Amino acid sequence: MPLDHVVFWVFAPISVGSAIAMLFQRNAVHAALFLIVNFFTIAVFYLVLGASFLFAVQIIVYAGAIMVLFLFVIMLLGVDREETLIERLRGQRTLAIVLGTGIALELFFAIRAGVGFATKAPANFDEVVNEGGNAVALSEVLFRDYFFPFEVTSVLLIVAAVAVMVLAARERRAVTRAEQAASPARQPERVP
Amino acid sequence: MLDAVWVIPALPLAGAVANLFLGRRLGTKAGWLGTAAVGAAFAVTVAVLLDLLALAGPERQHIVDLYEWIAAGDFRVQVSFLVDPLSMTMAMVVTGVGALIHLYAVGYMEHDPRVGRFFAYFNLFVAFMLVLVLADNYLLLYVGWEGVGLCSYLLIGFWFERPAAASAAKKAFVTTRIGDAAMLLGIVLVFVHFGSLEFGPVLGWGTSPSTVTGAGPSEGAATAIALLLLAGAVGKSAQLPLHVWLPDAMEGPTPVSALIHAATMVTAGVYLVVRSHALFEMSEVALTAVLVVGLLSAIYAALASIGQFDLKRALAYSTMSQIGFMFFAAGMGFYAGAMLLLVCHAFYKALLFLTSGNVMHGLDDEIDLRRMGGLKADMPVSATWFAIGALSLAGIPPLAGFFAKDHIVGFAYLSGRELAWVLASIGAFLSALYIARPLFLAFFGARRNPSHAHEAPWRMHAPLAVLAAGAVVSGLLLGFRAEGVLARFLEPALGLAEPGHADLSEAVLIAISIVLAVAAVGLAWFVWASGRVDWEAFPERQPELAGWLSNAFYLNAFYAWLVRAPGMGLGRGLRSVDDRIVDGAVNEVAEDVERASRLAPVLQSGFVRSYALAFLLGAVALLLFLGLRS
Amino acid sequence: MRTPISYFLVVSAMLFAIGTVGVLVRKNALVVFMSIELQLNAVNLAFVSFSRMHGNLNGQVLAFFSMVVAAAEVVVGLAIIVTVYRRRRSASVDDVSVLRG
Repeated sequence: MPLDHVVFWVFAPISVGSAIAMLFQRNAVHAALFLIVNFFTIAVFYLVLGASFLFAVQIIVYAGAIMVLFLFVIMLLGVDREETLIERLRGQRTLAIVLGTGIALELFFAIRAGVGFATKAPANFDEVVNEGGNAVALSEVLFRDYFFPFEVTSVLLIVAAVAVMVLAARERRAVTRAEQAASPARQPERVP
Repeated sequence: MLDAVWVIPALPLAGAVANLFLGRRLGTKAGWLGTAAVGAAFAVTVAVLLDLLALAGPERQHIVDLYEWIAAGDFRVQVSFLVDPLSMTMAMVVTGVGALIHLYAVGYMEHDPRVGRFFAYFNLFVAFMLVLVLADNYLLLYVGWEGVGLCSYLLIGFWFERPAAASAAKKAFVTTRIGDAAMLLGIVLVFVHFGSLEFGPVLGWGTSPSTVTGAGPSEGAATAIALLLLAGAVGKSAQLPLHVWLPDAMEGPTPVSALIHAATMVTAGVYLVVRSHALFEMSEVALTAVLVVGLLSAIYAALASIGQFDLKRALAYSTMSQIGFMFFAAGMGFYAGAMLLLVCHAFYKALLFLTSGNVMHGLDDEIDLRRMGGLKADMPVSATWFAIGALSLAGIPPLAGFFAKDHIVGFAYLSGRELAWVLASIGAFLSALYIARPLFLAFFGARRNPSHAHEAPWRMHAPLAVLAAGAVVSGLLLGFRAEGVLARFLEPALGLAEPGHADLSEAVLIAISIVLAVAAVGLAWFVWASGRVDWEAFPERQPELAGWLSNAFYLNAFYAWLVRAPGMGLGRGLRSVDDRIVDGAVNEVAEDVERASRLAPVLQSGFVRSYALAFLLGAVALLLFLGLRS
Repeated sequence: MRTPISYFLVVSAMLFAIGTVGVLVRKNALVVFMSIELQLNAVNLAFVSFSRMHGNLNGQVLAFFSMVVAAAEVVVGLAIIVTVYRRRRSASVDDVSVLRG
């Protein structure tokens, strides 16, 4: 059994299992942790698929930065209480599962029809495509063919940063109790 | 100067426009502006008339083409004016009497807040009336015809705050419309049979021959045309059976009654019949119809007038009666006589109405004859004017009405219509009776009104003096004999009527006339002024007869029964159709939509997860579709 | 590499479906958001798989862009959740239903 086969069959159940586990976790923190596990398995898949640069990015950006941000917000808001499982929307859960299964089946058949289950990737990927290392090859494609979209993403990031500042900034400063007491206009007049 | 005839209607039209836009700013001066416009029109009319008189008799016909109005294939209508003795006679009456009534109205309407609007309408009326009488074709005449109808409506309802005035205006408009619709049909028939609407070809004079389309109308067609035109004339001139609007029209200001509903507009029907006499002469039936309608209206209105205690309504019925005499004359083919009565009537009826305006002014808008009496002490000048007008109408020689009416009544006998003569004489007797009655009731006898009447200012007497002079001398000057000045002047347009010879000489006829008139006035004095007859108790003693007279033989009620009840029923029926079926359908659709739209909020739950579910449903369905298709 | 590409694609499809169901059934806005991230990652995995299959790097570049966009989206999304929480003291998506018809 080839090594990549072993790796896939080890990590694929972990990946799907962690995703399902995330789905069933009532506690948001636990859900986030399972998601991190899932992201790690995906990173491993990237490695197997010859995308070593994305493997690093996946771990650093997703599992590191983004999920830490998630956890930070969960802690900040204090919503790590357990979520109620009572569904108020009638039929929502049933329909969601049916449709989710449906889309999974549809994708499954699409893969069988479009790609075929036995199709194997060309063997010499690392020698031909990833010549000089995946990061070097990727950067060549990125900065040669996708330079303009790459610059546009920088604009996107700046806009996102500004947007977050606008959203997160408090519009008014709350009036403190001391200030309320100091201002006579807010005190109702008492007639003796 | 003949070509400047278009200036005559243009001047009052300009006055109307000016008053319409500046009336509010001009205030009381609006009246002077309106009077000046009509006065100037009168001056131009006189100038045109003098030019016309300078021509030799047969050439006294001048057509002024202004521009082509409608050109649609063979249907061509010019805006063109006709200057001939008939149109000039009418124009003289309209502008002359009109200017005097305008002058009177300056004083009468002085305190009305809408004086500018009043004179705008008044001028507009004169303009349309001049278009009517000066038009050279039936369509332009119809424009003026409808225009005066419109102004009549506006002026009757001038005090539209009063429900009575508003509904009277509506009544006048609707009733005359019945005639107008018939007249429009008549005009269409004229075009169908003559291929033209111009007077020349249709009436068989002028340059073009009357046979544009060939042989001209058959007798049946001519009868139809003439009867339809007569229906229009009957509506406009308030003859039986379309007369019901005229008494109600007295809701308008008194100068309106004088100008429109006595002196000018109501005579438009007479003008139409006289102008179209060639058409009427093609059909014996039509001429007889004119005669019968006129005679019946004359007697009917005279009786109704005697029953009225409302001064202006009495005068209104009197107008109807007088116009009946004009129709009667026209029906006998005595067109010059009809025109003479028209001119004289314009003078004395305007005088009577304006004087009654004085009385109303003096008595704080009191209009009921039972609350007048003995006014000659308070208002000697007005009493004189009224007496002149009344006696002129009554036919006391040598006042104008005597000549005018006497010629007509005499012509009936001389042309061999004995029965008509007897009826006309009765009508003349009743005329003298009904007009002497308000004279004695209002100005003579005992005082029945405690308030002290005040005489009108000089400004309002000035036009009355001129009208009174006309009421005195117009008959003498224009129609001393049946073939008098006016008849000879009108001869190129109307021809001369040829009465036959009969057993009684003219002198006997005149004597009978005078005796009847004097007897009627004397009877009126005995009943209403001598104090020896308790006329106020008459309605109690003879409730039935009094009811018939004062309600004008219940024709109004009859029409109400005939038209209004089915009309209301139809209206109610249609309304329920409208409510239940038309509106019902619309409302039902609206309610269904509303009901359906109440289902929509179920979809619009506000839950983002529901939306996402719908989104996914779409995605799954789309993928399924794509998968199955490939 | 001996493993057929379709295996990775099937895993990707399963993760995507699980993420979808998570979006639909979970009420906590943060968990919903995590499910969306899971979907994004599933698609990224598909991209990378196709990149390997076709023998060029365009798929990886797209996955890279997708990560950048996801980062920006996470930041903004979390900010929105924080703002909503500040106002409503709740992180449940069902409580934000003012667009109800």
